[in-house]
Amino acid sequence: MARQVCLIRGDGTGPELVAAVETIFRAANIDIDWVEVEAGLKCVEAGKPIVPDETIAKIKEVGVGLKAPMTTPIGKGSVSPNVTLRKKLDLYACVRPVRSLPGVKTPFDDLDMVIFRENTEDLYAQIEYMVTDHVAQSIKLISDFGSERIARAAFEYARKHDRKKVVAVHKANIMKIADGLFLRVCQRVAQDYPEIEFWDNIVDNQCMQLVTRWKIYDVLVMPNLYGDIVSDLAAGMMGGLGVAPGANYGTNCALFEAVHGSAPKYTGMNKVNPTALLLSATLMLDHLDMHEKRVAIEGALESTLARGIKTYDLGGDATTSGFAEAVASELKA
Amino acid sequence: MDLHGVDIYIWSATTPDVPKECGKFTLKLISNRGTRIYPGPAPEIDLLDWPRCRYLSDTPVTDAEVDALVGTITSQGFRWSKCQKLFIKDGVNQFSEPY
Repeated sequence: MARQVCLIRGDGTGPELVAAVETIFRAANIDIDWVEVEAGLKCVEAGKPIVPDETIAKIKEVGVGLKAPMTTPIGKGSVSPNVTLRKKLDLYACVRPVRSLPGVKTPFDDLDMVIFRENTEDLYAQIEYMVTDHVAQSIKLISDFGSERIARAAFEYARKHDRKKVVAVHKANIMKIADGLFLRVCQRVAQDYPEIEFWDNIVDNQCMQLVTRWKIYDVLVMPNLYGDIVSDLAAGMMGGLGVAPGANYGTNCALFEAVHGSAPKYTGMNKVNPTALLLSATLMLDHLDMHEKRVAIEGALESTLARGIKTYDLGGDATTSGFAEAVASELKA
Repeated sequence: MDLHGVDIYIWSATTPDVPKECGKFTLKLISNRGTRIYPGPAPEIDLLDWPRCRYLSDTPVTDAEVDALVGTITSQGFRWSKCQKLFIKDGVNQFSEPY
């Protein structure tokens, strides 16, 4: 019986990327019953909330979703559909694996690490005030509860995937109370995983070390804002947002997404790289216990890249659909 | 900036049943971790013991009226941990909205 998965086709180039993933999934004989749900700019233009309540309810019911990039409307009162989904589905763990891909040349060889970003707290609670005519304040909300569940998620992942090291990233030397709480909780959780080496780094030092000693890092765990920044830094080390996958996990559901934007200026040009959404989709296959399918698709992707078939962002001239067909052909070979 | 209300952060493990109306003020929302809980539908999220109750008035209010509101909350047995005045300037809210 086909497994149901909610699908958000997204805005801008999103539908083209989804079509590429569908091409590859068909070639891999993956039996998924896509349940289409609405979110994003199209909803706003139709006078609906950017993420309708029905969409939230359906993803909760199905438990798994794949999301193409969406556009956040510019203007007063607009909210990010991505953050809305994370908050309302309580998808507290943003997981960003970064690794070297064949044919994608970067200065960072043998890159292989996983970043765990807390997804619901920190400055992303978006609690802000003008407190006088001249002073603005944003509240950095860190809780022991939120810190523990992201720390535990990182250690559990490390244990399950035979990763040897977890590093907590923070700025507790300055934000001694908020980041101090995050660090203390990580240190406490680490005691439950004695087989995993644990230490902590201050976030600025971590950024420097990522570009000088990246090979020593395995799993990194950090609060929301640092995770936002560091995970994009790591995506750049991997070859850019066009190849960097993302997954968001909650207690009862998971949403997989490319982390780049909807690139509206390329809409309909059949140009953008579907790799990030494809690798996000293969993370989803792992979540659905379709490990063999994941390995097969990632192998086909790597073979395609190694043959020099690439989209424009990686220096190639393949189209979105052409790249997808090439991966599909590798699967059938 | 004109004073129009106050966010009262209550120390409570559950969503508090605070007054919906009080003087010039209306309870506009309750949020937790930046996500709207009241009015519903409330998302099924894990909550912290720090709900925020937002009271607003359509017309400007005084510091004394805010004090009276907070006093009412206290007198009803709610334990608050932080209050933040809410201002409106040239018709624009000087505070963020929850998700």
